[in-house]
Amino acid sequence: MDVRAQIVMVFNLDKCIGCHTCSISCKNIWTDRKGAEYMWWNNVETKPGIGYPKNWENQERFKGGWVKDGNQLKLRALGKGPTLANMFFQPNMPKIDDYYEPFDFDYGNLAGAKEGNDQPVAEAFSQVSGKKIDEIQGGPNWDDDLSGSRIYAANDPNLKDKKVIESYSSMFMQYLPRICNHCLNPACAASCPSRAIYKRGEDGVVLVDQEVCKGWRFCTSACPYKKVYFNWNSGKAEKCIFCYPRVESGQCNACAHSCVGRIRYVGVLLYDAEAVEAAALNEDRDLVDAHRALILDPQDPAVQEGARKNGVPEQWLESAVKSPVYALVKEFAVALPLHPEFRTVPMTYYIPSLSPVLSTWGDTHKLLEHGMIPALETLRVPVGYLASLLSGGNEGIIEEVLKKLIALRVFMRSENLKLPADPAVLAEAGLDLEGTKRLYRLCTTASYQERFIIPPQQREEQDPELRKQQAGFGILKKTRGGK
Amino acid sequence: MLNSLIFIALPYMALALVLLVTPYRFLSNRLTWSAYSTQFLERKMLFWGINPWHYGIIPVLAAHIVGFAFPNQVKAFLGNQETLLIVESFGLGLGLFAVIGSLVLLLRRANSGMLKRVTFTGDWLVLYLLLFQAATGIYISYFLRWGSAWYLHTAVPYLWSVVSFDPQLAYVTDLPLVVKLHAAGAFLIVAVLPFTKLVHMLYLPVDFLKDPPLLYRWRSK
Ligand code: SF4
Ligand code: SF4
Repeated sequence: MDVRAQIVMVFNLDKCIGCHTCSISCKNIWTDRKGAEYMWWNNVETKPGIGYPKNWENQERFKGGWVKDGNQLKLRALGKGPTLANMFFQPNMPKIDDYYEPFDFDYGNLAGAKEGNDQPVAEAFSQVSGKKIDEIQGGPNWDDDLSGSRIYAANDPNLKDKKVIESYSSMFMQYLPRICNHCLNPACAASCPSRAIYKRGEDGVVLVDQEVCKGWRFCTSACPYKKVYFNWNSGKAEKCIFCYPRVESGQCNACAHSCVGRIRYVGVLLYDAEAVEAAALNEDRDLVDAHRALILDPQDPAVQEGARKNGVPEQWLESAVKSPVYALVKEFAVALPLHPEFRTVPMTYYIPSLSPVLSTWGDTHKLLEHGMIPALETLRVPVGYLASLLSGGNEGIIEEVLKKLIALRVFMRSENLKLPADPAVLAEAGLDLEGTKRLYRLCTTASYQERFIIPPQQREEQDPELRKQQAGFGILKKTRGGK
Repeated sequence: MLNSLIFIALPYMALALVLLVTPYRFLSNRLTWSAYSTQFLERKMLFWGINPWHYGIIPVLAAHIVGFAFPNQVKAFLGNQETLLIVESFGLGLGLFAVIGSLVLLLRRANSGMLKRVTFTGDWLVLYLLLFQAATGIYISYFLRWGSAWYLHTAVPYLWSVVSFDPQLAYVTDLPLVVKLHAAGAFLIVAVLPFTKLVHMLYLPVDFLKDPPLLYRWRSK
């Protein structure tokens, strides 16, 4: 057992209102620069939809992630030899139109235009070429709220039955906020010929070393989530940095901090680094269980011992015990990885949404009064859709999670209304009374301090005296790493 | 005059620049050490330019270097007429690839509006130089036959005399003008190398061939 710590974000999709506040705060801090205008390290897309960049889930096209090759994992895109041969022209790389041509408006004209008969207008211009754009062709959330659903939502690869979105009575939608997943088995890192992308040992954040990156561009397509971006100005790859300058000092990421719906949780997970590859080798439908098995119980003395041996500080161990992420992902098992079948072992988790469940169940009030759990096949959001998104196609797992969430809702509603609340509803879904109370609090009124338990980096324990000796001239740029 | 400019001044200037500026840039500004890809903004023409260019120029350049490093072995290898013919035809073909490639790349820069803001003087300089070099190369290879053989008896001993700081111009003064220009182009390319994106040549990403897929970095290990 090789116990390591990872800092992880959980998203409660039921509560995302699609306001894009998270994207904006991220953009303002990190990507408001020349060359990065089109990048949204945090983006929010509408599902069903084709997302940003367009069709990112289509791995036939971009060749992202890993595939099983016998009992080995290999990159879907290119082996090492072909990587060298395709260095000059990277065949799978997304191009700017797959995102959108970034634009701004010529606001100066509003004040500075010569006097004339017409109102001056602020015309759109391209932030790349500087040329005027007559008609804007795309944006980071072009298919927001199902707009143009016949072109966009209909091409969502998770949507097996396209008819669902053609009629108002069966249509559904939800939001999907996405950041880099800071995967345990990152395809981006594996694809980099310069070895510029690395995972930090202490907290698992995946970063691109700008000094080492030579702009070979393999990572931009190898990441199945399309979360490595190419900066056209610097000629280098960039990605979400999990706000490490904030997180290192115990502050919350900008996106999570600003989240209006309070849908996000950040905390520590302990995992077994030795078992990652074997876990990723499971069949699609078993991947969620494999994920859960990788995550270790922070209260187990053997795990704590292993973690200490690897230099995980005490404060991190304490945080791991209190971690809201551990509770949601492992203990209550309601948060699921996004597209686990890409096999990068992503380390952000999503609580699937329930939303318009009750309205199709017939008489809403009647249902609630009886405290019943609707049959899962009557859910407005098809279980199969969620399974394709969050469990590698395993509908059983989605059903388990939904049962828990519905039971929680039914039970707590009864209790809050002082109606007879039947704990049997909970037992059936695999919850107990004490756990229900905790899960309820986490999903509803949990304070900032409960949702974000982020231990700072313990710089004082990381050989500061050694680093002080070394860092004099600013040219010591050796890539350290391997294990 | 022209001879001493091309065969004494230029090579030593190029050598001095490449030997001094390259390490300086490596130590002081590694952030810009890349090929500065523009595939993200324009890929259709790039495909038809960048692939022929690289696949043409790499073997041709390698052949020049091998000839310089192991003249005797190469002489022996080319001793027979058939081998020489095959090598020459391959060289000509690859050279054509390089010319077409660099021409496409040049036109691409000129025609694509998207590339305006990522195109600098250095890019034009490099593209013109490379096109010139490739074009004089195939001219020589076609009109002044058996260059791969006479290169070994003229330019190679001259180059050795340069690197041993005793330049012997006698080897090269009688060469046709186009060959002299080809040599001048080569020295210029070496001279601008440390200042332009050509530095990407000096970095071969081969470490990853033996590395494990995942790379961890620890602050404290
Ligand atoms: S989500 Fe993509 S960029 Fe982020 S660690 Fe995983 S493979 Fe790399
Ligand atoms: S800020 Fe929160 S609620 Fe708003 S879109 Fe982002 S994740 Fe959703």
